[in-house]
Amino acid sequence: MGNDAVFRVDGLRKSFGHIEVLGGVSLELHAGEITVLMGANGAGKSTLVKIISGVYDHAGGTMSLAGHDFAPNTPAEAIRAGVVTVHQNINDGVVADLDVATNLTLDRLSGKGASLLFKPGRVRREARAVADRMGLAIDLRARVSDLSLADRQMVAIARAMAHQPKVLILDEPTSSLSSAEADRLFSLLDRLREQGVAILYISHRMSDIRRLADRIVSMRDGVISGVFDTKPLDYEGAVNAMLGRKIHLDRIEARNSAKPILTIEGLRIAPSARPISLTLGDGEVVAVTGLVGVGKTALAETLFGLRKPLAGTMALNGKPYAPASTGEAIAAGVFLVAKDRGENGIVGGFNIQENISLPFHKRMSRFAVLKRGLERATARRQIEDLGIVCRSEKDEMTTLSGGNQQKVMVARWMAQDARLFILDEPFQGVDISARRDIAAKLRASANGRATLLFVTELDEALETADRILVMSEQTIVGEHRNADVDLDRLLAEVAGGQLHSAA
Amino acid sequence: MNITRRLLGKVALGLAGATMLMPGAFAADKPAPFDKPGVKIALVRYLSTGDFFQAYLSGVESQSKALGIDLRVLDSRQDAALQSDMVDQAIALGVQGIIIQHGLTESMKDAAQRAVDAGIKVVAFDVNVENPKIPQVEQSDKDLARLALEQAVKDDGESWNAGYVYVAGIAPLDRRNETWVDVKKKYAGIKEVAMFGTLDNPIANSVANQARSVLQAHPDINVMFAPYDEFAKGVKIAVDEAGLNKKIKIYSADISTSDIAAMRETDSAWAATAATNPAVVGQVSVRALAQLLAGEDPGHSVIVPPTLITQKDLIDKDIKNMEDLSAKLPQFAHADVAMPAWMPNPNAK
Amino acid sequence: MTLRDYAIRYGFIVLLFGLIAYFAIAADGFVSPQSAVFIFQSVAITGVLALGVTATLVVGGFDLSIGSVATSAMMAAAYVMVVLEQNVVVAVVVCLLIGAIVGLINGWLIVYMRVPDLLATLGMMFLLVGLQRIPTEGRSIATGMTMPDGSVANGKFADAFLALGRHRFDFFIPNLIPVSVVVLIVLAVLIWFFLEYTRFGRMMYAVGSNERAAELAGAPVKAYKIWAYVISGVFASIGGILLAARLGRGDIASGNNLLLDAVAAALIGYAVLGAAKPNAFGTAVGALFVGILLQGLTMMNAPYYTQDFVKGVVLVVALVFTFALSGRGRR
Repeated sequence: MGNDAVFRVDGLRKSFGHIEVLGGVSLELHAGEITVLMGANGAGKSTLVKIISGVYDHAGGTMSLAGHDFAPNTPAEAIRAGVVTVHQNINDGVVADLDVATNLTLDRLSGKGASLLFKPGRVRREARAVADRMGLAIDLRARVSDLSLADRQMVAIARAMAHQPKVLILDEPTSSLSSAEADRLFSLLDRLREQGVAILYISHRMSDIRRLADRIVSMRDGVISGVFDTKPLDYEGAVNAMLGRKIHLDRIEARNSAKPILTIEGLRIAPSARPISLTLGDGEVVAVTGLVGVGKTALAETLFGLRKPLAGTMALNGKPYAPASTGEAIAAGVFLVAKDRGENGIVGGFNIQENISLPFHKRMSRFAVLKRGLERATARRQIEDLGIVCRSEKDEMTTLSGGNQQKVMVARWMAQDARLFILDEPFQGVDISARRDIAAKLRASANGRATLLFVTELDEALETADRILVMSEQTIVGEHRNADVDLDRLLAEVAGGQLHSAA
Repeated sequence: MNITRRLLGKVALGLAGATMLMPGAFAADKPAPFDKPGVKIALVRYLSTGDFFQAYLSGVESQSKALGIDLRVLDSRQDAALQSDMVDQAIALGVQGIIIQHGLTESMKDAAQRAVDAGIKVVAFDVNVENPKIPQVEQSDKDLARLALEQAVKDDGESWNAGYVYVAGIAPLDRRNETWVDVKKKYAGIKEVAMFGTLDNPIANSVANQARSVLQAHPDINVMFAPYDEFAKGVKIAVDEAGLNKKIKIYSADISTSDIAAMRETDSAWAATAATNPAVVGQVSVRALAQLLAGEDPGHSVIVPPTLITQKDLIDKDIKNMEDLSAKLPQFAHADVAMPAWMPNPNAK
Repeated sequence: MTLRDYAIRYGFIVLLFGLIAYFAIAADGFVSPQSAVFIFQSVAITGVLALGVTATLVVGGFDLSIGSVATSAMMAAAYVMVVLEQNVVVAVVVCLLIGAIVGLINGWLIVYMRVPDLLATLGMMFLLVGLQRIPTEGRSIATGMTMPDGSVANGKFADAFLALGRHRFDFFIPNLIPVSVVVLIVLAVLIWFFLEYTRFGRMMYAVGSNERAAELAGAPVKAYKIWAYVISGVFASIGGILLAARLGRGDIASGNNLLLDAVAAALIGYAVLGAAKPNAFGTAVGALFVGILLQGLTMMNAPYYTQDFVKGVVLVVALVFTFALSGRGRR
């Protein structure tokens, strides 16, 4: 099939400053075929998509569409040439305040040769034609803002298809859809495949990939790390290529714990998910790993009182635990270092000291008046403890490096003793030495509490945890003691297949 | 006799009731279109905040009621452009007459012309719309200022240091200012040592703040001329706060119940004010418009004469509020302006 | 610290002293205890409002309704005493309640109905400007006034209430300091202490800076936001009480100028000591700054429009200090 590629990318390179994001990517898409692109965060998927769709220009390499050179300078050029992209954020693809019909024909309103007058009748006629071709059963007069996410997604795709493209790129289209909604999307994609469109489908969700993929391309660190196109597809091989198998470890002294701190029974965090049961023990560091979007953050948020479980019970220290708010969780001794510190952690107007004391004002004040001496002493102790590089505890957060900012976030929650210490992606955007520091600190201080980490990168789990749990499809599918991990089995679980599948 | 007949008419009107369902009794001897109730007119206002404007409105309302007029009030709240649009709105409402109350010549001139062109009768109060077909109702601002200043000269002689409150660009204040300029020319001994003023609301509070600064800077002031009662209230607050109420006298224009209370206070610095009863001005505005509608000519300039009210009057006659003032100073209660024989007098009881 | 740091930190204070020095030379009688007290008195009402709006700025909100809350409280005080003939305690309590209720409604609209803060409080502003006219059909309230039904209101402003506007405390010189100045200073110290030293104040700043982070640190973010609007409403109603006590009657007014001056004071406060954030001390200094400026300009016979102009210039300069020079555009 290699020769009838509709779309071809050859040796594509791209750098931002000194950092090379794409190091020579080559890729082929074939008509009537769905190619799945897999890659961890930062592997370069988004950059690749943005170059193909004309958002970024590229530093090296070539692209061709149906044998002709393809080098769009703007997204509009790419679309006119026949390469259409549906971006991850659905609302970028639709105009929420307009009705479906107008959305479906929006690009014709502003394109060349468009009529000056807005003709509702003609718009509705053209929209009807587009919708019929796509098998779209949505009221064309409905406002997009009144539609469900899935319907909006359909409209966005239908709008993209109104251009009758040769190549359709979908960037994580199911990330905010339920499984029933996703099924509708899949049948639409089936229809497009039959119509001979070459589709590039970017996703982490193994269930999507199993359902759709004709080929899988794995990306890692800005290069293609594997292409899988012989049936049956080697899903584990693809995951493996995406995560990389260069896991060389500082061996961990895996500990066992007899004293349970947190017990979870039959917890359901998503409507169709299987229930989760697990026990976390005193002194244990447990890592939960899995691809993006499998429910790691949802589980962390459930434990921290940010969302309510659909079913199941939790017990902390043998007592029932059902926090209604983050405040209650903290009072019970459950602390969370949230992921994405810029969004969820750092208070920009506060210096280091004030950021560290944030959750514990009540414990640091008398008659509601903050004890500034205690606050400063605590901050100094934590800076010392975690080796935060700064001039003083009064430094602004913006003066710190990413690793040190993250250390402050961890220091914030280690200032008081936790019963259950949860860290969601604590190593994101953190350099290797800070990562080692934080991991070592977590292990050294682990006694007296249970520690639960949520990480996507496997080596982070292997480097830090006593026990590794694998999540897939909103539930826990595997458990490994970090002593003699069966990596094949672990990867298979991450990939979401039955154990020891055919490959 | 005259009054008695009008009185009887009023009684008949009262009997007819506010319901206006008995045109037989209503018709009396009024010319068309007032032989039937329901003549539609609009009051298009520029200024509405404050007692003066409220009383003016009540005058417009009482005279309208006496004439059986269906009154629409359009209030632009000091938005000149909106006021101009409101005239068009009134035209669209199909009114037969419009009273333009205050506003800016520039913005209202064309609007007034449009109304006239649409066959609507228009009178203007306190805004010059430069249109020969439109009678200008005015309280004589020059007379107001003159009466107050004459009293000041009578009380304090021909030579004093004055603080003057003035904001340029407001038509009545500008006219009052002309008199002030004349008086200063006439009496060389009268010196204006400070001029200030603001329309920031609440006006009295803002003026009080300014007046305090002025009193601080110019301790030699012994007369304050504040030809607008909101200004005078502010000045009085400042004078009281500075403890200068026995040393300084305030002369002003306009009057309201709370002004009366302020003037009657023991050792009040507020010595006198000259005022046209705003309710009377409102009544005259409607009457002038009614004359136009009935085909009569009220004259191009309809001037409502002012009355001087001194602290002494208020105390001697035990006048405590506007009702007392109307009852005990008859020249204040009614002005015989735009009063053809058929015109009902809303004040008649 | 570099020169630039010094400029950011002390620039505005230096400007303030420069201004005082200039007026001391240029305007006779500017330097005296009475003059100083008067400056405080002239900014007392807007200052109290500004301190309230500072609380909403701290949580990242805004309150446009403070001016009309103040004038509504003034009307309510007059109505309670003159028309309903109640005593001073009832009048004050009713005013404070109005402030608190308006604050609660503002907070509820913003937090639970998700109306953007500017729009919610703008709506409330219009609502109150209209509402305050309804009981008297647009008349100002004074003893002896005629009510819409023709009866005459015979109540009086209680002497104790008027004393809030007129009584003066001895301070070295007899009869020097008016009650309103004492109220301003007490409230300024209270809100300053509250924001800077208590855990509630600290968390309000956290909510204003990063709401999500504050929530993840266990703070009941919605409650904090609503409380900020309640503080703002109550402070505004205290301003209204002082206004009523000074004027001795209930004046129909939108209070827009009170709002603008108060907001200007709070925004100028950003620049004081290089705080680059809303803060009570800065707000108080900002209010004084405006007061000194107006006092000086009035004493020099400058007309009102130049005063508005100068006020605007000061505000713009302060905002430049805050956002450009200190490079901390975030709030």
